[in-house]
Amino acid sequence: MTRRGRWVAEHWMAIASPIALLALWEWASATGLLRAVFFPRPSTIAVHLRDLAADGTLWSHLATTLARIGWSFSLAAVLGVAIGLAMGLWRRLREGLDPVFAVIYPIPSVLFLPLVSFLVPPGEIALVVTTAVTSFFLIAFTTTHGVRQIDQRVVEAALHYGARGWRLFATVLLPGALPFIFTGLRLGLGFSLIVVVAVEIVAASRGLGALLWLSWQILKVEDMYATFFVIALLGALLSYGLGALRARLLPWVPDAGDR
Amino acid sequence: MPTREPKVLVNEVSVTFESRGRSVVALDRISLQAHAGEFLCIVGPSGSGKSTLLRVLAGLHRQSAGEVRIEADHPGTPLTAMVFQEHALLPWRTVRDNVTFGLENRGVARVEREARAREMLAMVGLTRFAQHYPHQLSGGMKQRVGIARALANDPEVLLMDEPLAALDAQTRTIMQEELLRIWATLGKTVVYVTHSLEEALLLGDRIVLLTARPGRVSQVYPVDLGRPRGLEVRASPAYGALLETIWSRLREEVVRAMAEDRGPESDGLGA
Repeated sequence: MTRRGRWVAEHWMAIASPIALLALWEWASATGLLRAVFFPRPSTIAVHLRDLAADGTLWSHLATTLARIGWSFSLAAVLGVAIGLAMGLWRRLREGLDPVFAVIYPIPSVLFLPLVSFLVPPGEIALVVTTAVTSFFLIAFTTTHGVRQIDQRVVEAALHYGARGWRLFATVLLPGALPFIFTGLRLGLGFSLIVVVAVEIVAASRGLGALLWLSWQILKVEDMYATFFVIALLGALLSYGLGALRARLLPWVPDAGDR
Repeated sequence: MPTREPKVLVNEVSVTFESRGRSVVALDRISLQAHAGEFLCIVGPSGSGKSTLLRVLAGLHRQSAGEVRIEADHPGTPLTAMVFQEHALLPWRTVRDNVTFGLENRGVARVEREARAREMLAMVGLTRFAQHYPHQLSGGMKQRVGIARALANDPEVLLMDEPLAALDAQTRTIMQEELLRIWATLGKTVVYVTHSLEEALLLGDRIVLLTARPGRVSQVYPVDLGRPRGLEVRASPAYGALLETIWSRLREEVVRAMAEDRGPESDGLGA
């Protein structure tokens, strides 16, 4: 049996359950059990998705959203890893920032939009910065924890074998924190998507969130579901992509890629 | 036989730990020496400060009083290299890169590093595993890497902190024979901490028995069981007699340590 064949044989439920759910939905809308105005048949949604793709609408909104995710995730990743590492290494900094972070972190990110708009030019930049906030905190938190959880016996052995300063950082502290940094990046990327869609719903005329909201407002319910589907797929692909990258970049982690 | 030239000199070394506002004496005026090429075993009940003494020799802990001297015969190589109890390998480095780690930190050229790693891995029988990561190895193999990593630095003195304690009995026996072979090949001075008297009798030239906390030198026993020594030594009457002698003394210390641990002031410091 091929590898893929074996995977299917092992995990057939993972494939069967979404198909069964779609079939159930199709049947329920077709028979009128679900009101087709609000719950159109999946086959109808698929047709609308094809049309959205064919006339280019979908791609242009998708491109806008991807660009925003790209910018905000990069911003969050660079700052989050840098500040997280610094907090992991220096107790004073950690103690100073912890309470500030603890207060800011639980605030729903969309609420930062007005605040951010005072600080940076409103529009695209404000949108990107707002999207970056939650991811930044997630990445900084996990990175800090990543540094803190490094086995002190390993650090001691490294010191004993002469690693100091930059070499200690590059050969021990950074690689030791990397699995956690990766988890943070993965969570952060997921949150970038969630937040960017939310921000697009409230404050943008372009992007997948805007397309979804517009479709809902003019009651193009099929388009709304089609966009919904694209957003979900995008989320799954981004998460899977980083997961695969993790397995490749961290071959020394026993369960790399399992999650 | 080792020469009488002293290699490691420990003179009146004391270590005091501050713990919750109380000071605990871990080592109390320890004096001992190891001769060049000697295999010196340090035995004592838990809490006798065996590991602390080794950490002082390794420069990982500063003594509160007293003096440690290690004679350097080849300048440029480190004085000590330690094999840690739980191997303490860098999980993100391959076996080879773990072995070359100390050399890298000292700026040794790549070609030389890799040649050295090949030599050391061949000696511990891990040539085929150079590109593996530690998590892919068994406990015994990891500790072989730990030994190769230490020896790659060509230290003046090899320090070993209960290196085989975490291994199963069969693996431990095999590793003991391996250690004897490697030691016979390289002629390094070894200071070896163990809680196993049998292990000390199999490996050591002399056995230093420490008392329960605070750690003091109780007695030093020469192990006149000949060399090369193998597992068959366990059958000899001399072995049995020496084991009996040291054990009766060690037993007192263990009982004393246990009584102390049951007391209200126990805090499990050191090991």
